Amino acid sequence: MSDRSQLISTGEPFEFDKKRDAEFERLIKRYPTRESMILPALWLTQEQEGWVSQEAIGYIADRIGTFAAKVYEAATFYTMYNLKPTGKYHICVCRTLSCWLRGKQEIVDYLRDEVGVTPGKKTEDGKFSLEEVECLGHCGTAPVVQINGEFYENMDVEQLKSLLATLE
Amino acid sequence: MADKIKLFVNGEEVEVEAGKNLIDAVGAVGIEIPHLCYHPALGADGNCRMCLVGIEDGRPPLVPACKTPAQEGMKVLLDAEHIKKIQHDVMEFELINHPIDCPVCDQAGECKLQDYYMSCDQKPSRMTVPQVTKNKKMDFGGGVIHDQERCVVCGRCVRFLRQITKTGELGIINRTDDARVNIFPGRPIDNRYGINVVDLCPVGAMTSSDFRFKQRVWFLKKASGVCHGCSKGCSITIDHNKEKNKDDIIYRFRPRFNGQVNGYFICDEGRLSYKSENENRLTAAFIGKVEREISDVLTAAKKELEMSKKAVFLISPDASLEQMVAVKALAAKLGATLSGYSDGYIKKGDGDDYLIQDDKAANRQGLLLLGIDTTKESFEKAVSEADLFVNFASDLSRSYEQDALTKLLTGKKTIVCATHESAFNGQATITIPVRSYSEYSGSVINCDNILQRFEKAVTKNNELLDICEVAAEFGCPLQTPAEAYAELQQVIGMLKEYQPATIPAEGLNLNDSEAANVTA
Repeated sequence: MSDRSQLISTGEPFEFDKKRDAEFERLIKRYPTRESMILPALWLTQEQEGWVSQEAIGYIADRIGTFAAKVYEAATFYTMYNLKPTGKYHICVCRTLSCWLRGKQEIVDYLRDEVGVTPGKKTEDGKFSLEEVECLGHCGTAPVVQINGEFYENMDVEQLKSLLATLE
Repeated sequence: MADKIKLFVNGEEVEVEAGKNLIDAVGAVGIEIPHLCYHPALGADGNCRMCLVGIEDGRPPLVPACKTPAQEGMKVLLDAEHIKKIQHDVMEFELINHPIDCPVCDQAGECKLQDYYMSCDQKPSRMTVPQVTKNKKMDFGGGVIHDQERCVVCGRCVRFLRQITKTGELGIINRTDDARVNIFPGRPIDNRYGINVVDLCPVGAMTSSDFRFKQRVWFLKKASGVCHGCSKGCSITIDHNKEKNKDDIIYRFRPRFNGQVNGYFICDEGRLSYKSENENRLTAAFIGKVEREISDVLTAAKKELEMSKKAVFLISPDASLEQMVAVKALAAKLGATLSGYSDGYIKKGDGDDYLIQDDKAANRQGLLLLGIDTTKESFEKAVSEADLFVNFASDLSRSYEQDALTKLLTGKKTIVCATHESAFNGQATITIPVRSYSEYSGSVINCDNILQRFEKAVTKNNELLDICEVAAEFGCPLQTPAEAYAELQQVIGMLKEYQPATIPAEGLNLNDSEAANVTA
């Protein structure tokens, strides 16, 4: 885990586009309290922008009518929310127990040495970004790597190498 | 009285109040269960695991005492080896990333980590990996400075701001060993009760920008006071100290638990009002603008009183009941009109629905109970008919502009007993410095009709006279505090059962029986 408390400010006000706005209004009816909307709203933001900025967190809090600190908590707790712009391919390597025991470190070391990306960073060309994340729920097929939302199970360095080669 | 139940702690039978959790129930009879995150005002959270105890009735071997209601016949284990081990283990976890900078930490001396290290741990660290580093000296706004490394992430501050003030400025950011308390960027602590998080913090993570680095807490002398910032009269602890070759001054006010009045908290304004007890105080006596010995000034004042045909006395709504009865008795003896006019103490719209009141006077209920007139009309009428105006520490600048006041008092002799310097003092015929509320003991009645007693905290190098003493000098029939108190007992029937020292710390609720007993 790394410190995710440093939010990035775009300096521009954030708001949902038309599509997400409608989706927000549709979803919020599902829940007994407006605060339940924190996680879906963060997803909508990430869908729209690819990442979650400081302004977006403030916007969500005000839109829901809750404390910004609460949205901030959720956004920093869950590693699935990107708090900075990602590379074209965002690689998430699970760091929780099963994956750790089954060799996630070799994968991370390979990415550092051969691809040139460390957790929380991007490659210089912006093609890859890497994050070590909390449990992805595929412990039975550890270690697991997630690239732009797609799961790749039972990973090892060889498989990852050929997988990355297929990515443009 | 609440129902009592009997249960066993380490095999010994104790009688405790029903309806409480184990920490509070056995804590009330002097058995402490270590805890960090639980606070009676904030409820059980169960995150710190420090209060794990054993209950011998077939439940799991360890249960959190904060979430376990005390029940009849319960067998609670506190001193078993496995309980001591878990307390030690939790302490070891807490201290893994703690900087242990007690020598420079303000909390040292009143820190739960220190206490529990001594009672539960006392082992050296076994850690060989580097500690997780976090941010230090973060300005959270509202007079709160935060040190993330000292924090044990108990969440008391976060819960206080969500549950009590409902402003929610703080959150716990990140997860696992990187978890830390923070504000959302650009939204600092912004409410009138924020500094309470400093008291709530069981460790030195939250410090008050006003108090930090001023005093080591073990040097501070503590006295039970009542805040005079508004008519709520919150119970406070006055922490003061007289350093070598210096004067006795107050370093901070802290809330003192009073279930009838303020609970566990006070407002920031009241907390910081200790400053006015230290600053801008009137310490010298004057005749006109010339500083004179207090004995000369009193003699001159007595002469003025003798010469006066018709005098008006004005008593401060902050004065204690003892002072009020003394001045009232003096006024009766001298045939003077007594007023408690103090509309300027009321700041309309400033109060809230929690502790802060519109009325900034500490003892207006006392004025009313003693039947002292507070209307503007009768005060101004009396002044216009009088040749001498005696002010017993009422701050007229709150009610009058300087010019209006000068006009009102034109052609009158004025004797001013004042606690603080003010422009008005300079215009008085005679000025007598008197003690302020941290320098005498007395009683006040708050807006909810609760009578509280407070102790004398500060003893200045240059001890001033109390208003009771000034009144006695002027010939008041009540010459001593004991006589003033006896007079009070005549007025407030409920007080007959009590001596000053036996009035309960949470005060007397006069609503219960008082209305019928007032004879004034």
